[in-house]
Amino acid sequence: MENHLSFVLGPLVISPSIFTTWGIMGVIILFAWLSTRQLEISPKGLQTTVEAIVTVIDEAINEVAPEQGRQLLPFIATLWLFLIVANLVGLIPELHAPTSDLSVTSALAVLVFVSVHWFGIKTLGIKHYLQHYLTPSPILLPFHIISEFTRTLALAVRLFGNMMSLEMAAMLILLVAGFLAPIPILMLHIIEALVQAYIFGMLALIYLAGAMQSQQLNTKE
Amino acid sequence: MEFNVSTFALEILNFLVLIWVLQRLFYKPLLAIINARKQLITESLAKAKNHEQAAEQQLALYENRQQQWEHEKQQAMSVLQQQIEVERKLQFAQLKTDLEQERHRSQASLSLQQKEFQQRAEKQALENGAKFSALLLRQTVSSDLEQRLFILLLDKITTLPELLKQRLMISEAQPALPEIKVTSAYVISTEMRQHLEEKLTSLMNQPVQVQYDQDTDLIAGIRLDIGDWVLNANLKHELSGFAELAYVSK
Repeated sequence: MENHLSFVLGPLVISPSIFTTWGIMGVIILFAWLSTRQLEISPKGLQTTVEAIVTVIDEAINEVAPEQGRQLLPFIATLWLFLIVANLVGLIPELHAPTSDLSVTSALAVLVFVSVHWFGIKTLGIKHYLQHYLTPSPILLPFHIISEFTRTLALAVRLFGNMMSLEMAAMLILLVAGFLAPIPILMLHIIEALVQAYIFGMLALIYLAGAMQSQQLNTKE
Repeated sequence: MEFNVSTFALEILNFLVLIWVLQRLFYKPLLAIINARKQLITESLAKAKNHEQAAEQQLALYENRQQQWEHEKQQAMSVLQQQIEVERKLQFAQLKTDLEQERHRSQASLSLQQKEFQQRAEKQALENGAKFSALLLRQTVSSDLEQRLFILLLDKITTLPELLKQRLMISEAQPALPEIKVTSAYVISTEMRQHLEEKLTSLMNQPVQVQYDQDTDLIAGIRLDIGDWVLNANLKHELSGFAELAYVSK
């Protein structure tokens, strides 16, 4: 199915996941535009909802990284919002969650990987940031490096595996058991979509905050 | 399940674009409005706090002022009580003095009334005594007593004071003689009348016309009226004189 819907744009192959991602982006951006057109000091209706969403995310980030909360908010909040919508898109017939594509989850994991180093270096400077790979002992440098790559890989594979397996399980049950049997699986899909989005975003937040705060602790020491 | 580099690259690009757009379109205005609201709430809380502090200060000031007022009120009440006490004592002393004076006046008035009553009673008693004596004498008198009183009158005429005699003589120069009236309890005999007229003629130094009258109220004796001058020699006059004399001597 993916091969049928893909098309080639120069050197780039536009896959269905990219189409779906654009659609998700369009929906999120449209929602953001509609909800922030007429902001007022006394919020009403939709503004109350979006303010609640942003406030909840902001507080969750501040609990983990109180000093860098506003720095991390755009990245983490976007990650959460995108992943929730992307994971739930799989519930719509004829659509597949982009997060069930390893290329998409890998891209997000790589973004997290790069962001960790970007925010770490931005906050502490490259010298201090790189020093943490040598602490508490330079012997641990290889383990640190391996850890960076494995946790990134784990991020990508975890999300991809969960979402793909959910869709596959739902498809198999639908094929085997008939019309109403997949409903519990679909409900599980909703929960799993939210949980996986939360886990991915929270892990990214922890990695980012860890990179920034651990170096700060070392700097203070 | 296959890894697609184009998808990988485009997904990274898409996500970065999404972050950029949401940052401009969503997070920034929302956080700005949330911060503005928080600032407004903070300012409102600060204002409320200031107002609360001001209110507490006003309350403390008011309570302090109220205490001062209470203290001043107590002092004023104390002064007022003292003034009332002084005034009460003054009024009480004045009242006591007034009562004492009133009591003295009442006692004086009472004693005066008692004295007047006593005097009236004494006068009444004397008058009653005189009446009683008159009644007693009226039953015991006779023409002999009348005759002796007549003789007494003649003696009185003879022994009149010189000043009175001169006055009666002065009346001689007057064109009309004064009316001479003789009132007696009994009828005066002709001899006695003649004797009296001689005495009067001798006293007034010219002949006189005498009018005789009888009045049993005199009990006994004679009353001689010469103009506005009266000479009594009768028991009624004597009894009245005794009563008045006794009353005056009391």
